[in-house]
Formats: sequence, C-alpha cells, structure tokens
Amino acid sequence: MKDTMGIIYTTKDDHTLRELTSQRAVAALPVAGRYRIVDFVLSSLVNSGVRNVGVITQKNYHSLMDHLGAGKEWDLHTRNNGLFILPPFLTRDNGGEYTGVLDALRSNFDYLRRSRQELVILTGGYTILNTSFEAMIQAHEDSGADITLMYAKANPKRMDFFSEKNVHAFLQLDANDQVTDMEINPNAASYDNLYLDVMVIKRTLLIHLVDMAYAHGLKDINKDLLQAYVKNGGLKINGFFFQGYYRRIETIKGYFHFNMDLLNQDVRHELFSAYPVYTKTRDDVPALYRGNALVKNSLVADGCVIDGTVENCVLFRGVRIGRGAVVRNSVLMQDSVIEDYVELDNVILDKAVTIRTHGRLIGQKQYPIVIGKNVTL
Amino acid sequence: MRKKRCIAMLLAGGQGSRLGLLTKIMAKPAVPFGGKYRIIDFPLSNCTNSRIDTVGVLTQYQPLELNRYIGSGQSWDLDLNNGGVFVLPPYMKAKNSEWYKGTANAIYQNFGFIEQYDPEYVLVLSGDHIYKMDYTKMLNAHEAAGADVTIAVRPVPWESASSFGIMNVNAENRIVEFEEKPAKPKSNLASMGVYVFSWPVMRKYLKEDDADPKSKNDFGKNIIPKMLSDGRMLLAYSFEDYWKDVGTIESLWEANMDLLKPTPDFNLNDSRWPIYTKSPIKPPHYIGDSAITEMSMIAEGCEVYGTVKGSILFAGVQVASDAVVEDSVIMPGVSIASGAVIRRAIVAENCKIGPGCTVGEAEGKIALVGQDTVLPAGYSVKAGEQVDGEIIAEREAARV
Repeated sequence: MKDTMGIIYTTKDDHTLRELTSQRAVAALPVAGRYRIVDFVLSSLVNSGVRNVGVITQKNYHSLMDHLGAGKEWDLHTRNNGLFILPPFLTRDNGGEYTGVLDALRSNFDYLRRSRQELVILTGGYTILNTSFEAMIQAHEDSGADITLMYAKANPKRMDFFSEKNVHAFLQLDANDQVTDMEINPNAASYDNLYLDVMVIKRTLLIHLVDMAYAHGLKDINKDLLQAYVKNGGLKINGFFFQGYYRRIETIKGYFHFNMDLLNQDVRHELFSAYPVYTKTRDDVPALYRGNALVKNSLVADGCVIDGTVENCVLFRGVRIGRGAVVRNSVLMQDSVIEDYVELDNVILDKAVTIRTHGRLIGQKQYPIVIGKNVTL
Repeated sequence: MRKKRCIAMLLAGGQGSRLGLLTKIMAKPAVPFGGKYRIIDFPLSNCTNSRIDTVGVLTQYQPLELNRYIGSGQSWDLDLNNGGVFVLPPYMKAKNSEWYKGTANAIYQNFGFIEQYDPEYVLVLSGDHIYKMDYTKMLNAHEAAGADVTIAVRPVPWESASSFGIMNVNAENRIVEFEEKPAKPKSNLASMGVYVFSWPVMRKYLKEDDADPKSKNDFGKNIIPKMLSDGRMLLAYSFEDYWKDVGTIESLWEANMDLLKPTPDFNLNDSRWPIYTKSPIKPPHYIGDSAITEMSMIAEGCEVYGTVKGSILFAGVQVASDAVVEDSVIMPGVSIASGAVIRRAIVAENCKIGPGCTVGEAEGKIALVGQDTVLPAGYSVKAGEQVDGEIIAEREAARV
C-alpha cells in the first residue's frame, strides 16, 4: 500500500445526543461495552498500515485527549509519525474554534506540510466501521481519481437515525464509479449512495485545495469543495463502495440501536473478528456472576459484578447489578451501580450513575430514558 | 546508573514439574491465573505497588512465553529509563558458562546486573505464589532492625507444618533455628520464599557459596543455614494475609476457586492494590439466550451459550449450547463443543473440546487437558488424568 496518513475530524459537542454529548465530542462517546466511537476508525487506519494519524478536535476535547493519550494502545507512540492531537488554538486569524474541516486543516497547515506520506485518508469521527482501507487506496490508485469517496447503500429504515445537524450527502455514480452528482441534505434524496465521510486524496492536492479554499473564503468542505468540483468537473472524483457493516451515531435512537446490534452474532463477528479494535485498557477483573445471576442475550465487559437479571443489555466495564434487580433492553456505561431490586427497561445510563434500591425506570423502545453522568437516583 | 535503595530479583527459572502438562511448554510464572492474569503478574504488580521499580527476572526453563509476555514491562509501568524490568537468562562467559544451578547461583551469575545499581538491599522473590504484599513495609522492618536478612514467614496449620521450611523465632522475631521439613515442628512459621538481603552481606555469602564445591547453591539449603551458623541477624517478617502456593494442579485449581467465593479471601478488585496484566484485545463477552452463568468469572471475548457454574473462563473461550462447565478453570482461547461436560478440570490454552467429550468428574482429583490439545468427539478424561495431543495420539494408536 502507498504510504498513507490519516486525519480524523471530530465535531463539536452539539447536543444531538442529548446528555450524552453535553460533556464530550461524539467521537469520545462510549459504545459497545468498552470502546469509544473513534476507536473503530482509528483502529481501521492502524490496521491498514497507517502510522501517522492527526485527530482534529474541537473545544471540548478533554475526554478525547484522556482516551487517546500518547496513542500507545494503537501502536502510535512511535519516534517518527504517531498520533497528533490537533485542537483549535488562538492565532491572528483564528478565534480559537474551528469553523469547519477546511478551517481546521488550514490551521494545521504545518502538520500537513511536514508529514511525508503521499496520500491522506480524511475521515469523520462518528462513523462506526471496521475495515482495511487498503482496497479503497488500491481503487483510488487504479482509477487515477483525484479524490475517492467511500459510500454505502443508505438504509431507508435508518433515515430517522439521522440528525438534521449533520451533513448527509448522496452520490450519483456512472458506470466507472465516477461521481456525477452530489446532493447535500436533501429532503428526499435522488440516490441511495450515502457518502460515509471517508475520502482518499493526495496530500499535496489536499494542501492545494485547502489553500485555495481559504484564499477564496470558502468554508464548507462538502458544499464548497466536493460538490463544486463534482459540478464543474475540475477534479475527477470517484466513489468506492463499502459493503460492510457501518453505523453513524447521530441520535440517541441510533446510539441505542447500534449497541443493541452488537447482541447479533454476525455484527459482532464483522466488527471484531477480522481486525482487532484497540482501545484504552483498564485494569478490571473479569466479570463476576453471583448465585442469583440470570443473564440472557447480553454483552458484558470486565469488572462487572452481577447478582440479578439482565436481558438484552450492554454492560460497560465495572457495572454492578444488585440482587433481585431486573435490567432489560438497556445500555449501562462504565461504573454504573444498580442496587438491589431496581427495575430498568429501555434505559441508557451514562458513566457512574447509581440507581438506589427499589428504583424503577421504564422507557420506551422508541425513546429510551437517558440519565447523565454521575447522577444518583 | 543511578543508585537504588532496593532492587528485586524474581526467580522465574523453575520448571514447575508438579504442574505436569501445564508447564510442558511454558515456565510456571507464565501459567494463566484468575481469568486474565498470569502468575508472574502478582510479584510484578506487588513490586510496582511497593514502588520497587527495578526488577530482574531470572529465566531458564521454556522462557519464550514469559519473554513475550513481559515485553518492555509496560503493563506494570516498568518500562522506565532509570530502572524497569529485565529478563536475565544464563549467558556465556569467558571462563565458564553454565545454567543456573540453584537459586543462589542464579543471583550470583547476575552479580554484574545488581552491582550496576549499587543497591542497599536486594529483594528475592519467586514466581509461583498468589498474594498481595507491600514489600516496602518488609524493607522498612529489615532496615529498622538492622538485620542482615529478613525472611517473610506465614503461619501454616500445625498438622501440615512438617512439610515446610519452618522458622523458629525468639521474642524479637529473630530467627534462631531453621528446619527444613521437621518431623516435630517447634513452630508453624513457614518461609514464603521472599527475602530481603542487605546487599553487602549477600554479596559476601554468594561469593563464598560459589567457592564451595559441595554447596547446592540454594538459599534455603545453603545460604540461610550458613548465615544462621555464623550468628548473623536473621529477622522473621510475619505476613498473615492471603498467600497461596500454586505449585500443583490441585492448589492452582483451589486458588482459582478461592476467587469465586461470595466474599473472597483474596480480593483482586482492590483499587489501592491493583494487579496489572497485559489485557487481551477483545470485545466484551457475550452471554446467549440459552446460557446459564452462576458463581463464575468470565473474561472478555468469551461467547457463552451453555451452562457455566462455579468456573473461571479466560479471554476468548467459546462454550456451545448444551455444553456444561462446572467447577473448572478454562484458559484463553478454548472452545467447548455442544454436549461436552467439564467438571473439576483445568483446560489449558487453545484446546478444542469436541462434541460430547467428558473431562473430569464431579468428585475426585482435578483433570487436566494440556495446551493446544484437540479432544476428538466423545473422548473422556477421568478425574485426576492429564492428557495432551501426544498422549491422545498414543492411546488412539494403541487401540487400532
């Protein structure tokens, strides 16, 4: 594979996921019992042989920094290259906040210039997929495209998991996979090819495009750059079809469904078997099942202690389920404590929530109850 | 090299032959324990938690797994510029080259390693015990008493005292007599194999011991008795918390089972004294609709569809529906097919237990299936039996 670097851009915490993203970027949101959303795309980059990854962060980057550290878990703590966290900073022409991806790239011009890799994989931070990008890079090279965009077939059933605050771009492709039209945030899309916010581009071309966009006061990478070039044909933009499992975490509903998807063996297999997903580890003891434990169809991380009934749940690290407690269809983030005889159904608990004895929280499948971090009920 | 107050030397070279097939291709300290750990995690974590940051690990027998596991020492925060963990195998020298002959000889052969740090004290540890101990407290007791050597001791039941190295102590905890497996024990304080030596004294005795052709070069057999007869100050340091020798199949199984008690004698989940280990890169484990999981410890990456009671499953174990695992220790990567029944057994890493196999029995001694063994469908391993691929092949050949 050509020498390639990765850039992941994470979005501002925009409250699309209610309490869950009030304190953290979506990329730093805990998922699947022990991961953060960013782990999937970051591991995919590393498993594809990428050794230089920049993570563009927005203002609220504490939890992301804390999670990524020096990049040790991803083998990115190397002497050369490695992991670069790129938070916004105050300069003469920058107010301390990125206005968009183009602005962020422009602000980190030096990083782009100093990197030595020929290609860049530029990707968003809220898509979950686990793949090797090698095939995409090969397709990019073979086609001679200037930019290659990864897309998947949009599932009409999941359109209601979209948040209107995010960009949804749909692509029209010709027989040679060249993008001939791009619709951004249509009410009713003409095409079912959903752009997955993953693109491959030559590093020098990216530098040039970012510079030109800045010089012309253009801000939006999708509208001002991709869509414009598709329209005027100034660049050859191709599509690369991704047929694996992917989810974009944009809403509470989408978040909840993704976690529940993991109770399906095929989904687990696809996400975790072919390529490992790396994450920050904790020194937890393996999960303990006590005498009254009755667990069905659930995903359970290390450090849990279970003495109650658990059905169709995802339990993160260090969750306690008391005796006689009944927890169904719920996602319990790390260190939640469910005391004796509590009843939970369709609930999402953020980290370190405590539900006192005999507490009862019953949500709806379509609208699960969300309890914010460190709350005691 | 900066001077250190104390460095640790961990004796990890023993074969552990009492663990049978379990240590056929790996050294005892590398044997998995407690769902995600290996035995060596305990002394190494104790060192880290005791702020002893320089550890030499003396290896000799089947070191591959152990070397790979220790790596840079990162898992125990022992990847340091000044200090860290060092694997010390025997090496060629200009005059004579030899294997480690005994515990004292192993340390003596690494004289140069110790001298680099110019330590005041050397802590000698062994790699076959499960316990949490603050070595600094012991070190402070040694220093305060001005002892030449301090030996950690623990009370054992009187009836079993005659199978240990027993220390007879006076009112000031000074060791006045050392008896190896006495018929009529005068005390029930057994040595734990943890020593703090003042380095100048240790250096002198190691040199003398090496010059003595009759010596077995062993701390318990030679060095300690010699120091006693020379009137040196030997202090007993009493340790009464959980401590388990996991040198046999039965005791290894028991120590694992101890973790499953409702209020365990040994708490692994202690944030003040964490046990560090190399975490496997696996998703959380999955418990299926048909599964029953009670009184068990289950690590990440497992997929359980069958019945698991009173057992420990290490990372990545697969239990098919209609399989039963009771009172057993199942090491990483094992798959157990439908209809198999495992009771009172240890199944070592990456075994494949075929459909309808039975391993172990509800009563009797612990059965063992050695590493990488494939048990053909319907195969039966009786209580107390040990099998691996070779043994099965021999049996099958004999049957034809």
